[in-house]
Amino acid sequence: MPLVIFVDDSETALASTRMSTNSMPIEVKQYTEAQVALAEIKAGMIPDLIVTDLNMPVMNGLEFLKELRAFAPTSRTPTLMLTTETKAELKQQGKALGLTGWIVKPFNPAQLKQAITRVLRLPA
Amino acid sequence: MMILDSIDELLVHIKEVQLDVIELSNDSLMKMSSFIEKNGLEIDEDISTALQYQDIVTQQLNASIEAIDSMKKNIEFFSNAFKSDEGLANESLVELQEKLTATLQEAKDKKSRFSGKHASEHAEDEIEFF
Repeated sequence: MPLVIFVDDSETALASTRMSTNSMPIEVKQYTEAQVALAEIKAGMIPDLIVTDLNMPVMNGLEFLKELRAFAPTSRTPTLMLTTETKAELKQQGKALGLTGWIVKPFNPAQLKQAITRVLRLPA
Repeated sequence: MMILDSIDELLVHIKEVQLDVIELSNDSLMKMSSFIEKNGLEIDEDISTALQYQDIVTQQLNASIEAIDSMKKNIEFFSNAFKSDEGLANESLVELQEKLTATLQEAKDKKSRFSGKHASEHAEDEIEFF
């Protein structure tokens, strides 16, 4: 099963994504700190899709994305930003770093599932 | 200046209340989500949205806590200047006012940015793919 990692400093946001995707044919790993997820990726865990929050302490979503793009095994891994942020300038920064898409919270569970299905090309 | 000390104490109190609210709302929703998961219940869009509001509440309160910290720092700077040289106080007061105005503007900007779809009736419900 494809591995999808969710990174969000909010435990309730992670619970919501977990409950929204638990019927999908995917393996899910969740992290409350981007730097911890990054360390596991650099240690050999290669996700098929990364869904990350933007505003997080220590390492934010864009810094995380920059690190992912600089690391060869994840330089092209599809990555979605799932955030309360709506600032166009930040979306542009994400786009320039090769972000796959931008989802504004609160997300609709059905649409999140559709987005994951589309990006991973899972059977609908 | 005693009035500044009182304002400082008030800001400390507001910050503590906000930190408590963040912790309580997180605990509350984690208990709910734990119950939902433990009983294998399916969540619909409304419940998912309710869970995600906690994240918005936390970000909003954290942004206002940042504003409080910034205000405290600027008030402390002014208070020290006033104590050391009253002649500098008028100049420092203008500077304080400018910094507090900037802090308020930044806080308002973050309130708008961190509200997600909740803030705008016209926010798109579609996921934006690049």
